[in-house]
Amino acid sequence: MSSPTQALFANRWLPVLLVTPLALLIVIFFYVPIFQAFYWSFFLERPFGGGSIFVGWANFARVLSDPQFWEAGKRTVIFMVIGSSLAVLVPLILAVAADRQLRLSQPARNVLVWPKGVAGASIGVIFAFIFNPFAGILSPLNQWFPGIWAPGIDGTDAFIMLIAAHVWSGIPFNFVILLAGLQSLPRTMHQAAAMDGAGAWRRIFDVQLPLIMPQVFLTLVLEFTESVTSAFALVDTMTKGGPGGSTNLLVYKIYVDGFNGYDLSGAATQTAILMVFVVLLTGAQFAFLGRRINYER
Amino acid sequence: MNAIDTAIRAAASAIMLDKVSKSYDGTTEVIPPLDAELRAGEFTVVLGPSGCGKSTLMQMIAGLERVSGGTISFGTRQVQDLEPKQRGCAMVFQNYALYPHMSVFDNIAYSLKVAGMPKPERVERVEAVAKMLGLFDLLARKPGQLSGGQRQRVAIGRAIVREPGVLLFDEPLSNLDAQLRHDMRMELAELHRRIGATTVFVTHDQVEAMTLADRILILNKGRIEQFDTPKTIYHQPASVFVAKFIGAPPMNIVPVTGNGKVLRLADGQVMAECPVFGAYQLGIRPEDILLGGGPIKANLRYREDLGSHTILAADLGGNVLRIATPFGADIGTEAHLSLTFPPARLHLFDAETGRVVPGAFSQ
Repeated sequence: MSSPTQALFANRWLPVLLVTPLALLIVIFFYVPIFQAFYWSFFLERPFGGGSIFVGWANFARVLSDPQFWEAGKRTVIFMVIGSSLAVLVPLILAVAADRQLRLSQPARNVLVWPKGVAGASIGVIFAFIFNPFAGILSPLNQWFPGIWAPGIDGTDAFIMLIAAHVWSGIPFNFVILLAGLQSLPRTMHQAAAMDGAGAWRRIFDVQLPLIMPQVFLTLVLEFTESVTSAFALVDTMTKGGPGGSTNLLVYKIYVDGFNGYDLSGAATQTAILMVFVVLLTGAQFAFLGRRINYER
Repeated sequence: MNAIDTAIRAAASAIMLDKVSKSYDGTTEVIPPLDAELRAGEFTVVLGPSGCGKSTLMQMIAGLERVSGGTISFGTRQVQDLEPKQRGCAMVFQNYALYPHMSVFDNIAYSLKVAGMPKPERVERVEAVAKMLGLFDLLARKPGQLSGGQRQRVAIGRAIVREPGVLLFDEPLSNLDAQLRHDMRMELAELHRRIGATTVFVTHDQVEAMTLADRILILNKGRIEQFDTPKTIYHQPASVFVAKFIGAPPMNIVPVTGNGKVLRLADGQVMAECPVFGAYQLGIRPEDILLGGGPIKANLRYREDLGSHTILAADLGGNVLRIATPFGADIGTEAHLSLTFPPARLHLFDAETGRVVPGAFSQ
């Protein structure tokens, strides 16, 4: 079978040449480090380099028996579930509104995409300021109810702050994907539902949402995997894992263990575990969710 | 006849369009004020070229577009300000617009569900409709698993399950292949005979219009060119536009000049006797032209043998003249044709307005 992509390139080496830079980037900066992490997780590494000893599963036994690892893992899962859900739900609401051609939806579409251009660390710095208990937008609360908003002391407040920043940074991409999904629905689909007597709200739940499930699923999968890793910049700039370790997510713990604590083997082992977790998670999502939303347009 | 048929027949209501107009920007009128009465239970085909406003007209009847002026009544009820769901009309869309994530059953039942009909009653209604349309065995399937004709039937089922007073079709057959289109045409005609719903059917296909319609409303640039039975429209077209739009091949139209006695072509050849003066357009259908031994001379340029009949294209004083000859007719091989235009089959149109000049050839 000759597919159109084969006919596109007359020279058989051209496609290879075009793919090489990206492939190299992925291999050098993703597959090699990951492979290294797996490799190191079976060795005991000296903190300042120079020789390592093969220890088999000893690193895993040590990490898995560490209550702090499980604590961080639990926080990661909570962050992932709440953060990802909100990071899809909020853009979904915005996308539905923008799709309805409400007043100002055109400028809103542009404005909502802008955060895409802001780096995670910058978002962290900005949100740390926004949520600052003395100078931020919630500081008046503290004037009326002293101590109600204290992300520097209260772990829950810090966690909420972290999630808010994460959701905000996730809006642009998910918004674009979901809006594109909504706008790809044929106009007659809305008209048919209107003729069937369904009002605007009913159409959202009966027609629009079920039909953009592929896009919702896509954003959810990406969010789940990304929330595990990309939270690092936020944690690092906003809370440093504090207060009292309440925002110490696994990805941040790995960094601290490895580069502050010089427990390179432990960090590599946790990286390997985290990696396996993400892979399994994505696989499970495809297996359970993906099957239910398959339909032919 | 089952309960659904009876209910639809009883619900069928006339549609009155009174000075209905549509303009999107307030200055250019897509549809200038338009009056028409579509009788209860009648199958009306709205026919016109693309961009003539026929879909807009239908959307206004459906309530998917607001009218810019005038009133629309279903029976005695004014509906132009009502939401689609309050109007009691149903619509079959060109691309069917079936809900891909719902089963055939749910597609058909959706409007009943929205209306809050209890489940047992819903099931009964959907099954009755499904049986009528031959969809009973497909109720559990998703639209993606159906053929084009089956999807079409689901779309129709979804429309009639509510027992609408008015049934609207927006070019429903244009996505089907030729064979299926033919079959669906027959099915639609049969369905209409059974349920007797007031039906408005928008199309640009004259064959669909001729075969399905009780009356055809021909629309040109938002104006009604003619609104009459297929037979009248074919044999007594009200304008050049209608004459050219209906019939395959369409009616021949040649410019002529009258001197009070006869009509002549620009090159002087006499076409017919007629006591008029000035510029006119003369029309004659390809199948009404008689071959052999007539006074009118034309040069044969091209012939298309279609088996059942042959279409000849001839040059008549610089105009293309199409002649449809009956099966078995001896056409011969000569390049020079001698033709007769029977006066009773001629149509005279005003050169400027394009409207027919009635009684021009009835001496």
